[in-house]
Amino acid sequence: MSAGTLGIAASRSTGRWGLALWTAVLLVMMAAGLAAFAYQFANGLIVTGLRNTMMWGQYILFFMFFVGLSAGGLIVASAGRLFGVTAFKPITRLAVVEATVAVMLAGIFIIPDLGRPERVLNILLHPNLTSPMVWDITIVIAYTVLSMSYVWLYTRADLARRGSWLALGTGVSARELARDERLKSILAWIALPAAILLHSITAWIFGLQISRTFWYSAIMAPLFIASALVSGLSLVILLALTLRRLRRIDFEDRLVAYLGALLGVFVVVEAFFVGSEFLTAAYPGVPDDTGPITRLVVGPYAPLFWTEAIVGLVVPFVILAVSRTRRRPELVALAAGLAIAGIFVHRLNLLLNGLSFVPIPLPPGVAIGASQADAARSFATYHWYVPTIVEWLVVLGVLAFGALLFTLAVLVLPLREHLVEEHADI
Amino acid sequence: MPDPKKVSPVDALPAASRAYGEIGRHSGKPHWGMVVDQERCIGCWSCAVVCKSENNVPLGGWWNRILTDGDALDEPRDERGQLQMAWLPLACQHCENAPCVKVCPVAATYHRDDGVVMMDNDRCIGCRYCMIACPYGVRTFNWGTPERPTPHETGMVAARPLGTVEKCTLCVHRIAEGQVPSCVWSCPAQARIFGDLNDPDSRVARLARDGRVLLEEAGTKPSVIYLSPRRKHEL
Amino acid sequence: MAPADGAPARSGRDHDVPNSLLVDRVVRTTCSPNCTGSCGQLAFVRDGILVKIQQAADYPDPSYSPRGCMKGLSYLNHVYGPDRIATPLIRTGERGSGEFREASWDEVLDKIASELARIGATWGWDSIHIFGQVPGSGYVQKGANYRAAALLGMTHGTSFDFNGDLPMGMPITFGVQNAEHEAKDWANSRFLLLVGSNPVETRIPDVHFIFDALDRGARMAVVDPVFSPTASKADEWLQIAPGTDAALALALCRQIVVDREVDMEFMRTYTDAPLLVRSDTGKRLREKDVVAGGADDVFVAWDERSAGPLMVGTGRLGFADGVQPALLGTHQIRLATGAVVTATPGYALVAAELERWTPERAAAITAVPAERIVSLARAFSRAKPAAILMGAGSNHWYHGDLTGRAFALLSALTGNIGRSGGGFSVYVGQYKVRVDTSPWWNPDGRKAKVCPTVYFVRGRTATMHPDVPYPKNGWHALFCTFANLFVQSMDVNRLHTTLAGLDLIVVVDHQRTETVRWADIVLPATTWYEKTDLTATPLHPYLQLQQAAIEPVGESRSELWIWRELMRRIAPDLAAKYFEMSEDDAIRAILQAGGGAGGPTEGITLEQLRAGPVRLRVADPDVAFVAQIADRVPFPPRSLPAPLEATAAFIPTRRIEFYKEDDAFGRLGEAVPTYREPFDEGVHDRTSYPLTLLTPHSKWRIHSSYANNAWLAEIHGGRPEVFIHPSDAAARGIATGDVTVIFNTRGSVEAWARVSDAQRPGAVTLPEGWWPRQFHRGKGVNELTSSAVNPIHEVRYLGNMWAPSTGWKDCRCEIRKAPEERRA
Repeated sequence: MSAGTLGIAASRSTGRWGLALWTAVLLVMMAAGLAAFAYQFANGLIVTGLRNTMMWGQYILFFMFFVGLSAGGLIVASAGRLFGVTAFKPITRLAVVEATVAVMLAGIFIIPDLGRPERVLNILLHPNLTSPMVWDITIVIAYTVLSMSYVWLYTRADLARRGSWLALGTGVSARELARDERLKSILAWIALPAAILLHSITAWIFGLQISRTFWYSAIMAPLFIASALVSGLSLVILLALTLRRLRRIDFEDRLVAYLGALLGVFVVVEAFFVGSEFLTAAYPGVPDDTGPITRLVVGPYAPLFWTEAIVGLVVPFVILAVSRTRRRPELVALAAGLAIAGIFVHRLNLLLNGLSFVPIPLPPGVAIGASQADAARSFATYHWYVPTIVEWLVVLGVLAFGALLFTLAVLVLPLREHLVEEHADI
Repeated sequence: MPDPKKVSPVDALPAASRAYGEIGRHSGKPHWGMVVDQERCIGCWSCAVVCKSENNVPLGGWWNRILTDGDALDEPRDERGQLQMAWLPLACQHCENAPCVKVCPVAATYHRDDGVVMMDNDRCIGCRYCMIACPYGVRTFNWGTPERPTPHETGMVAARPLGTVEKCTLCVHRIAEGQVPSCVWSCPAQARIFGDLNDPDSRVARLARDGRVLLEEAGTKPSVIYLSPRRKHEL
Repeated sequence: MAPADGAPARSGRDHDVPNSLLVDRVVRTTCSPNCTGSCGQLAFVRDGILVKIQQAADYPDPSYSPRGCMKGLSYLNHVYGPDRIATPLIRTGERGSGEFREASWDEVLDKIASELARIGATWGWDSIHIFGQVPGSGYVQKGANYRAAALLGMTHGTSFDFNGDLPMGMPITFGVQNAEHEAKDWANSRFLLLVGSNPVETRIPDVHFIFDALDRGARMAVVDPVFSPTASKADEWLQIAPGTDAALALALCRQIVVDREVDMEFMRTYTDAPLLVRSDTGKRLREKDVVAGGADDVFVAWDERSAGPLMVGTGRLGFADGVQPALLGTHQIRLATGAVVTATPGYALVAAELERWTPERAAAITAVPAERIVSLARAFSRAKPAAILMGAGSNHWYHGDLTGRAFALLSALTGNIGRSGGGFSVYVGQYKVRVDTSPWWNPDGRKAKVCPTVYFVRGRTATMHPDVPYPKNGWHALFCTFANLFVQSMDVNRLHTTLAGLDLIVVVDHQRTETVRWADIVLPATTWYEKTDLTATPLHPYLQLQQAAIEPVGESRSELWIWRELMRRIAPDLAAKYFEMSEDDAIRAILQAGGGAGGPTEGITLEQLRAGPVRLRVADPDVAFVAQIADRVPFPPRSLPAPLEATAAFIPTRRIEFYKEDDAFGRLGEAVPTYREPFDEGVHDRTSYPLTLLTPHSKWRIHSSYANNAWLAEIHGGRPEVFIHPSDAAARGIATGDVTVIFNTRGSVEAWARVSDAQRPGAVTLPEGWWPRQFHRGKGVNELTSSAVNPIHEVRYLGNMWAPSTGWKDCRCEIRKAPEERRA
C-alpha cells in the first residue's frame, strides 16, 4: 500500500538489504515507466485507453489525486502554526516533505497526458490568462516552491547542526533561529491560502466548464478542498505511523487520536458536500443532470460510487467518531487507508461520469478518433474507459519516483523534532 | 520554393465551377457564418465526406458529422405515436464566446477578426482541454499516427501533427481565395448557406433571423445557425 | 471584431494560415455508376495522384448544381484502396477459392482469345454470355461490349430488366421502354405522390427539387411499408402492406370516378378509352371487321352524335369537332359478315374493374385506412399538376407491371400525363440511351444478339418468347464486365448451378468483388477517373464526358482496349476494320448519328463536351410525352436504340392502352389493370414464411459498389443489418445486435439484427448490395430472392424493353436468432 509497509519489514530484519531491495524495485519501476513513456511518445496517446469519447483518464486522475494529497502537508504545518496547535509538531517536517513530493508528482503526471510533451514550455512562453490550466500550472509551481521552502526552513537548523551542505551555509545562531520562526509564520500565512487556491483552481479546471453538466457546479471548489483534506491528512497519518515504525520520528498515540478526530471531521464535510451536490442535481429532475446521478447511484458506476460512499466515507467516519476505536492507532490507520481509497474512487467517479457520455448524444455520437478494426465502433455516444498497460506502467513509474524521492528525503533530511528545541522555538 | 508547374486549385477551376463557389458580396469587415437548413438536410453525409477529403482528415476522425435526431443512425423516434426523424449536421460552431478559446493554456486556438475560431497546430501541446470545454463535441485528437484508407494523403491541407487537436477551420484556406467552404459547395440538397453575418442583406443574415442556435443556454454565441424542420401539413 | 470572451485576439499574429496546397491540374469528368446521378465532378490531381473529388457544379441551369453525393466524393478510396486490382490474374485454385496468380496482359489475352474461339467453334459463339450493366453509365466503354458481341456473334445480356428496373407497366401502357420527367420538373408540382420511392436516399442529387416544390406550398404523400427518410419529409405517410400498391392505386382511381373528377376529355383524346372491344373475342374491333377490305390498324369507336360506329386511325390522336366518342355503354355493331356483336369502350371495361375497388376493399388488402385512401385521392385529384414518382419499392414485384398500369391510369384519369409538374415517372437505373449509339454499337448495321440475363441464371422458361436468342447449345462462357453478378444476381444459388456448365468465366473489374473471386481470369479495369466515356441519365437532360484525370493505376486498362486486344487475336480482320477507333472517334460518330435536325445531339461537339455538360436537344422542361399531349403526335415516342416500330408494336392503337387484347393478358385476367397478390406467396406459405423480405437500395451504396469504402463504413458500421419491427423481434427473442438467420427454400444468410420502429410488422428489411464477406455467413441476401418469370413479360420480346423484369421484393422468408455456437 504505502511506502511504509516494505520499509517496516526492512528495518526490522534485513535493514540495509531491505533498503537496497526497495530502491532497486523502485528503480526498475521507474525504468519501466520511462520505457512506457518513450513508447507512448513515439506512437502517440493511442496506446492509452483514451479516445475522443473520453479524453482525460488515468494521468489526469492521478494529477487530481496528488494535488489533493499535497494538501495534507501544509494543513498540518500551517494550521499548526496559525492556530497554535503544538501537538502537530512531531510530524510537521514529515508533512511538508509529503506535500512537496505530492505536488511534484502532480505536476509530473501532467507531462505524459500531453499529446506534445516537448512543447510544454509553450505554457510559459505563450500563456493564455483565461485558462484555468495556466492558473493551475502557476499555482502548482508556486506551491512546489512554497513546500520546498517549508521543508528547507524546518530542517535547516538541524542540517546546519550536522554541518550538511544542504543548510546552504546558514547557521544556528539565535538570530537565525528567530528568523526561522518569523519565516515559518510568514509562510504559514501564505501557505494556507495557497493550499486553498491550489485545490480550488484544480477544481475550477473542471467546475467552470459549462459543457460538462456533472462538473459545472459551484460546489466543485469546496468539494476539492474537502477531498484534499481527507486524502492529504490520511496520507500524512499513514506516513507518520510508518516512519514511527521505522524510528525516524516519534510521537504519542494521543496525536494519532487527535489527527483521527480531525480526519473524522473532514470526512463529514466531504460527505456533506457530496450529498449536497447530489441533492441539487437530482431534485429538479432535469434529465441532463439526473442522468449522471442515476448512473452513479444505480447505473454502471454504482459499484464505484457505493465503494466511495461506504468504504470511503461511512466506515472511516464510524471508526473515527467512536473514541474507543479512535484511540487505537492501527484502526485510525485503517480508517485513513479506507478514506484515501475512497477519495481516489471519488475522483475516478468524477472523471468517468463527467466524460464518458458525450455532448449532444444523438446517434451515431462522436467519432472515436482512431481507425477501428470493427468499423461499427467508429462512433460512440458512450465510452467504457479501461487504462492500458502503458498507462499503468507510466503511472507506476511516476509513483516509484515519488516513493524514491520520499525515501531519499527520509534518509537525508532530519525529520525528527527535538523536544528541547521545541520549547525554545515557541 | 513552390513548384512553378503547380497551380492553386482555385485558379485551376473551370470558370463555371469557380463562379459557383464564389463567396460573393460581403461587408468590409465580414463575420463569416453559416445557416444549416434541417428541412433540406437529408443525412447523406456528403458534407462530412468532402470535409474529410478536403482537409486530409485521417481514419477515425471526423470534423463534421451528421447526427440523427432519432433512435439510431437514420432511425426515427416515436413521438406520441408519430414517427419522426431529422438530421443535424454538426461541426465547429465558431462561437463568438468560445469555451475552447478561453481554456487553451497556450492560446493555440484563438479568434480571428472574421469570426473563425482557428487552430495553430504548431503550438498545440495536445492537452485536450479544448475538447473538454467544447459543449458540442466537435473537436478530434490525433491519437495515433494518421491512418488512411489508401497510401495517399488527400485534399488541399497539410496533415496535422500527431498529438494535436484539430477541427473544422471553416476552410479558411478556401475563404482566402474567395471560395465557400467545401461542405457548403458539396451539399447536394442545397442545405447550407454561407456568407457574412455582418451584412444584413446577405442571404445568410436574412435566413439566420428565422433560425436558432444549438445550446443557446450555454451562451457560446455560435456563428452557425439552424433552420428547424418544417411543419407537416394535412393533405 | 473583438471576440466576446475576453480572450486575446490573435489576428495579425505570426500564425500564417496557408492557402490551399497546389495541384497539377483539375479535370472535369462525370461520376456515373448506375445511380442515375450522372454528376459532374472535378478531379484534383497532385503529383499524378487523385487527391480530391468535388462536384463540378457547372450545369448551365444552376438549379441542377451541385449534384453529387457522399459516395462519389469518397471514390478516391476505390481508386487506390486495398481492393483495387492492379494486374491481370489467373486462377490457380478451385473456382471460388480466390486463389490467383498474377499474369501478364499478353498471357491472359492470348488465353481468353483462344478459349473464346474454341468455345465459339465447339458450341457456337452465342453460348458466350457478356454481362455488362446499364449502358447509360458509359455509352462508349460499355458499347465496346456490344460492338464485339455484334461482330463475333456472342450473346449480350440485359441489365435494365435483369435489375428489375424495367417498369413493365410502361411498355404495356405507353409503348415505351420508359419515359420520365426530368428531376427539375418536380419543383413544378403542386402534389407529389411517391410510391415505393425513397429519393432522400436514392436520388440524392435530385431530391432538393422536391424541397423546392414543398417550399412553394406543394404537398407530398409517401406510400411505403417502412418509415423511410423520405417519409420523414412527407406531409403524409401511408404504411402500406408490401406488394399491395396496385390495390391502393385502383381504389384511388375509383374514387376519382366516384367523385366525377375524371378528365374525360383526356381519356377520350389520348387513350384507348373510346375504342370498342368485342365481347365475343375480347379483341378490339377493327375496321376490317366492320368493313370488307378494311384496315387492321384502324379501330372503331361509337359516336354518340350519329349513334353509329366511328373509324379511328392511328395517324393522329384526338377527334375532329362534331363527333362525341362514347366512353361507356355497350353498343351493337354489325360486322362485315353480317353478324352483330356487342362491343364496349375500353373505358367501360376499366371502369367495371374499378367499381370493385372500394376504399374498404383496398383497406382490407393494403392496411391503409379507407378514409385516408379517400382523402389521398381527393388531394391528388384537386392539386394540379400532380406528379407520381414510382420507385423500385413498387416495381420490384412479380406483378410490378400491374402496379405501373394502375398508377399510370391514376395519372391519366386526372389529366396529369404530359404536363409539367405532373406525369407518371419511374426512376430507377441509368438505362436510358439518349443518343444514337448505332454507329458504335452496331458496326455496319450488325447488331448483338441480346438475351435476357435471367435466362442465363435459370435457363429458359416454358413460355420464353421465340424471339429470345437463347443459344441452342446452352451457356458455356461468361464474360462479366463491370458487374457483380455473383452478388447481385437474383436466386444466387441457382446461378451457381449454371456455373458448373461454364468452361470459362472472365471478369473485368477494378475491385476485388465476390464475382472476381469466382473468375477463371480477372482483367484489371480502369475506373472512370482513368478513361474516356460518354454518359447520360434519365434524371437530367445533360450529356457529359468522363475524362481521364490520372494514368491507369497499375496495369489496368479500359474495356475498349481490352476488346481491341482480344479482337486482334480472335479476328484480326475485324479488329483492323472495326476496333482501331479511339474513344474520341466513337463519341464523334455517336454525336453525328444523332446530330440531324431535331436529333438529340444536334449541334453538340466533342469540344463542347470537354468543357462541361451540354444539354441534349430535348424539350425544356424535358417532360414525358410532351409531343403526344401538346401536338397529338401518336404514341409512342421513340425508345433509343430501338426503331420506333419495334416499341410501337406494343400499343397497336398508338394510344395509351389500358385494355390489353393479347391472349396472355386475357387468360390471366389482366386485360385491364387489376390487383394480384405477391407471387412468392404461392411458393412460400404464410405459416412457415410469414415475413416479406424487402431488399431496398441503400443510400450508402450503388447496388454493391461502395460496400467496401472505408470512410462510409465508419459511418454506417460496415456490416449487414436486417431491420425488424419490435413485435416480430419480440416474438422471436431477437434483440438489436443479435446474429440472425434469414431463410427460405431458396437459401439462407446470416446478418445482424436491428430492431426498428420504422419497420412494418410482417416484413423485414435487408438492403441489397452487401458483399458476402461482410455477412456473418452466406452468399448474400440474394440467396433468397426469386428468378420467377412473369409470362406477361414474355408476351413479346425486346431486350431491356419488353422482357422479364425481376421481382426482388416479391420474396418471403422467416428469421430466427442464430444458434449459440455459431454466433461469433
